[in-house]
Amino acid sequence: MLEILKKTMPFQVVSDGMLQKIAMLGRRTSYSTGALIYDVGDKADDIYIIVSGQIEHMLEPGAQARRPVRLLRGGDVFGWAALLEKHPHRLAKATCVEAADVICINADDLLRLLEADADAGDVVMSRFATMITQDYTVPDLIAQLRHIQRRQQHGDIRGMNLTLYRISSWLKSPRPYQMLIGFALFLGFWYCAVEVWKLPRFREMPGLTTVIREWLNPNPTYGLSIYTAEYYTHIWISVWRVTQAFFLATALGVPLGLFLGWSKKFKEYVFPVFETLRPIPILAWVPLAIVMFIATESAVIYLTFLASFFATALNTMLGVESIEESYIRAAYCLGAKRWQVFLHVIVPGALPFIFTGLQISVGVAWFSLVAAEMVSGQYGLGYVINTSYIMVRYPTIVIGMITLGLVGYATSMMVRVAGDFMMRWRTRELALGGQ
Amino acid sequence: MMAPEMQTTVPRNTASHGEIIIDDVVKIYDPDGAAVMAVDHCSLQIKAGEICMIVGPSGCGKTTLLNAIAGFHEITSGRITLDGKVLCSTEKPKAEPGSDRIVVFQNGALFPWKTNLDNVAFGPIMQGQLSAAEAKEKALDMMADAGLTGVEHNYPGEVSSGMRRRVEIVRALINNLSVLLLDEPYRALDSLTKSVMHEALLEIYYKNKVTIFFITHDLEEAIFLGHRVAIMTTRPCKPKKILEVDIPHPRDYSVLTSKRFRELMEETNEAVHEEALKAFSAGEKEG
Repeated sequence: MLEILKKTMPFQVVSDGMLQKIAMLGRRTSYSTGALIYDVGDKADDIYIIVSGQIEHMLEPGAQARRPVRLLRGGDVFGWAALLEKHPHRLAKATCVEAADVICINADDLLRLLEADADAGDVVMSRFATMITQDYTVPDLIAQLRHIQRRQQHGDIRGMNLTLYRISSWLKSPRPYQMLIGFALFLGFWYCAVEVWKLPRFREMPGLTTVIREWLNPNPTYGLSIYTAEYYTHIWISVWRVTQAFFLATALGVPLGLFLGWSKKFKEYVFPVFETLRPIPILAWVPLAIVMFIATESAVIYLTFLASFFATALNTMLGVESIEESYIRAAYCLGAKRWQVFLHVIVPGALPFIFTGLQISVGVAWFSLVAAEMVSGQYGLGYVINTSYIMVRYPTIVIGMITLGLVGYATSMMVRVAGDFMMRWRTRELALGGQ
Repeated sequence: MMAPEMQTTVPRNTASHGEIIIDDVVKIYDPDGAAVMAVDHCSLQIKAGEICMIVGPSGCGKTTLLNAIAGFHEITSGRITLDGKVLCSTEKPKAEPGSDRIVVFQNGALFPWKTNLDNVAFGPIMQGQLSAAEAKEKALDMMADAGLTGVEHNYPGEVSSGMRRRVEIVRALINNLSVLLLDEPYRALDSLTKSVMHEALLEIYYKNKVTIFFITHDLEEAIFLGHRVAIMTTRPCKPKKILEVDIPHPRDYSVLTSKRFRELMEETNEAVHEEALKAFSAGEKEG
């Protein structure tokens, strides 16, 4: 029976395990020449697969088939009306013309089976749909084909829902616990190395408990903890500077990258300059930045902006260059003008790379910010770390570092969520891939 | 499986436009350096409304011909006309790409960032022929007609590859085009899906008055679908043998087992095999 199922259109691509389950539902029946298998209007429970013999299948005129009469042979499937919505009844008359052996499968049982494995089920149902359109030439009936109840997770995943879905599936997986173990090991090592074993190089370092006590202290020894307003001023100023620099870098970097990728001529002029400036470390820009911008604030933002800008522009350019030529050609074929191609193909096609670029960009923005704040500036987390070093407030240095890590991670997550939202097509593809 | 009443002959559909004349076209890549002749004084006439299959081994230069018609590449000399209008010639080596000649690409080129519906509606909107709402309505109609109900709001990445190909063909046909250019569109599909796709293509062809220029390396596919099959020589590419397939349309898969089909296969198989051997040994020399 397995072999016969494999040859029939709807089941050709189903896995062997699934086929076996379908085969279990099958019942063999024989009809002698001239026997009526069913008539129009009968209740439709089963679908039939022909093993041998011939069956004449005549669709009622109401079904509006273009070829109402078909002669069916081994391997053909009929009786698919059982798969239609709402109390299915037969739409055709099936008569045996030459003694036939058939396999009957109860449609409800089959659907239940297909629902259990929604991915295979979808394929089978779309094959049935194709068969009804192609072989039986009644496309109008497709809409009535029963839908497989997909499990919630595959529902209509879009944008923000996908983020929520990711979080909930993440909590169900072992990953959060592995992550916690990772942190525990790291903090445990810190605690032991400094406070228990007092290892040679760690002796001078602030210990885990010292840092936490200071961090959570309403009256901190060195003046900075979660209870002091100053702590939040530093965070706020750093976040604000990164935000400004990041948006400036995006606003300038994305268009520059798009044009670099889009126009060969433009690239020949600009790219060599771009590539010469890009490797210069931020610290090397500091003196010039201070000379260029009289106000320290704009100098800090400029320095923070610079690396982000290069990362964004470069990734955007690579994104444009990664777009397959055939998309652009297809758009021209379909009558798009140059600017329309830019808008409908280049920009969306480069988005995956742009968002990779933006995630890198936030990261390097924090990196450069701290460098800039250490050199000039009066507030901010980089400033905290640098002054605490000068003033020998070691626990405060670590508080500044940890805060930087947490805030940096949060901003990077925000960029990722925004990317998910803007690239629904991509995340939906990924979601169907199981993640 | 052919029902008796459908054996009425539909010779060529009655399209009055879509005639392509390829006249003495030459294409040499890199004319200054090591000139590689891809197409050698190739002349071929594709009649309005016919399915013309171009068969040749991979890399024989048949895609070069398609690219010249579509307007993706220049020709070195010669002339290609569409319904008497010059697309490209020695004086104007590159044709303008346009919505009268639409290509269905080997690996598929549906925009993955647009839903299937938006992909289909893309052409009329870009050309400014229809408003977005009208274009979508027309797209929905055409998709339903092609048995693509239920996937309109999915992205191409979410449906099967066979389904994607059909969406892509519908995306081309929604424009009032004269010629559909297919570049080995079913190459990546498994043979089962392929057989379904062939019948689907014929179904669509019978309903729409277009000329089909179809490139393939699969002789069986060529004879099954085509009114005429042009077997090309390998690099440089020019017609070696043109086969008139006298099996009446509409056809379905029962044709494959018919006697005439086998005869035609035998008649041409040798010519194709010869070119494949040439291509193979040429490939070895270059490698």
